[in-house]
Amino acid sequence: MSEMKPSDVAAAEDSSEEKDWAAAKAAFDNLKSNKPRPPKPRFAVSIAVSSRTVFNMVAERKIYEEEGVEKYVAFQVEHENEPFRPGPAFPFVKALMNVNSRLRELYPDSEELFDVILMTNNPAQVGVRLINSINHYDLTIERFCMTGGQSPIGYLEAYMTNLYLSKDSDKVTEAIEAGIAAATMFMPEKEMELSDTQLRVAFDGDAVLFSDESEIIVKKHGLDTFFEHEKRYENQPLAQGPLKCFLEALGKLQRKFYSKNERLNCPIRTFLVTARSAASSGARVLKTLRSWGLEIDEALFLAGAPKGPLLQKIRPHIFFDDQMFHIEGAKDLGTIAAHVPYGIGQKYHKGKLIEQPAKNE
Amino acid sequence: MVSTVQNTDVKQKESDHAVVVAVASRAVFEPEAQGGDNVYAEGVAFPLLQALQKVNERLLEENSAESLLFDIVLITTDSQQQQQSSHLISSTKHYGLEVSRFCFSTEEDFIESLLQNNVQLFLSTDRNEVSQTSQKGVLSALLDEYTTSCPSEQLRVLFCRDAVIRPDTNPTPASRQAAQSFSAQLGKMRQRFGMSDSPLSIALMTSCGGRDSCGGALRTLRSLGISVDEAYCLAGSPRGPILSVLRPHFVLSDCFSGLED
Repeated sequence: MSEMKPSDVAAAEDSSEEKDWAAAKAAFDNLKSNKPRPPKPRFAVSIAVSSRTVFNMVAERKIYEEEGVEKYVAFQVEHENEPFRPGPAFPFVKALMNVNSRLRELYPDSEELFDVILMTNNPAQVGVRLINSINHYDLTIERFCMTGGQSPIGYLEAYMTNLYLSKDSDKVTEAIEAGIAAATMFMPEKEMELSDTQLRVAFDGDAVLFSDESEIIVKKHGLDTFFEHEKRYENQPLAQGPLKCFLEALGKLQRKFYSKNERLNCPIRTFLVTARSAASSGARVLKTLRSWGLEIDEALFLAGAPKGPLLQKIRPHIFFDDQMFHIEGAKDLGTIAAHVPYGIGQKYHKGKLIEQPAKNE
Repeated sequence: MVSTVQNTDVKQKESDHAVVVAVASRAVFEPEAQGGDNVYAEGVAFPLLQALQKVNERLLEENSAESLLFDIVLITTDSQQQQQSSHLISSTKHYGLEVSRFCFSTEEDFIESLLQNNVQLFLSTDRNEVSQTSQKGVLSALLDEYTTSCPSEQLRVLFCRDAVIRPDTNPTPASRQAAQSFSAQLGKMRQRFGMSDSPLSIALMTSCGGRDSCGGALRTLRSLGISVDEAYCLAGSPRGPILSVLRPHFVLSDCFSGLED
């Protein structure tokens, strides 16, 4: 899984890299506006977002699919000065920016900040419209890779990306297989009012924060066996899942607020929303988190009840789950949901094994 | 003393319209190593030459009367390789490389041979050579060890803006002009192909400024007739990791100095 970036790296800094960094610092400091300077990637929590997650490009996507890439690019260029409407990751990005402002107030010289990078397959000609849109909403996105069709995975690795959000599930799967926390975003049916002072992130447990080992037992042997298994292995930590490192990165930033006595006013809050029940299988989860030295602010055990209504109360900027069934439930009631294509849950839909035609790998 | 030998295996290009690219032969063939049959082994710039050729092939596929083609010249300053000039020529023919001419000169007058041959781009693995030719107004780019790992099916050119300028290499007006005219021709070549499946990909990287710096560069290049395929805005992040994924065959940085946003 993605490694936490080493904060005590003794790597020999290439002196030309340092020169570039110094030049960038100078460039930003000299700007007439108060634009904050992007942090050093090595220390930052890097969030890569695709263009279709930050912005609503549904109509343009249709042109691409129905009329081809040339017409698509021509359309984008023609409408270059019209900003896009916000997409599913837009509130999440704004919430990240807010956390950064609070961090900068408390730690003006720290590079431990969120760094939002636009990672898109779009050709660079579409970039002008994207930059204009970013300017329109004054989003703090200063770094981008417009790969013109090349795979983003290498660039995700080059930026030591902590989380990658895209609408393309193939790219998300590739990222997860490369050990990068990633999820496919879905736009909810209706809009939900979200906090503009606190970043709220909700995670499913199994196959998201934790591995799918327990889920395999449920799917193959049923709930009773699952409960017995979890009780027996209560004190043995579960293996980690694809989003564990992202939770870890959030926790690290949270502690920066705690150490300045801002726990009550912390602009990051995390939630565990799991189908497990507190009584029979919850303990193992909490003990696993503790063994990892991770905190989660609120753990909600649903004992199999639908997640949608609870998420409506939590109002997270993003909710990660591995099962499309829960993603759909969340979406229907207005929660911005992100699918993590990992583990045995991908082979099932609503508890039934999906018959897959034999794939020629 | 400069001498030029034509490659009789290759059709000569129309001098008015072709884009003359000179490559140091030391970069194309391993100077010491030998393949079988007295033929040189492939050097660092081999995939680059193949990529240049691929562009020509595809240009001619689109239009068999196309005259805007790469005209590849091999420059040899190495006296050892000059003594083995027949080796050089036979190796070139052996690999079927589309080199139209071989220029042999001494280190003192190789710049003259570049100018005589109307070279619009000079590529070499020798940093000093590149620096000298650049100062004399010939657009030049350094080939490094990454060049070997670049693909041979697609020519990848990177325009780099606002990299840290080293104090001794301020581009002259002549080299800026050379950069702009080569870039404009590259832009025209790129227009001969569609958005996907192009044998030529043009990328832009801005290393220090933020998004507006990159947006400005995109517009500037557009105004020069260059439609960029890929864009990377680094805003101070380390270039190395990005370059090793990007894998450009060569990097041009002279185009922007002096151009306003």
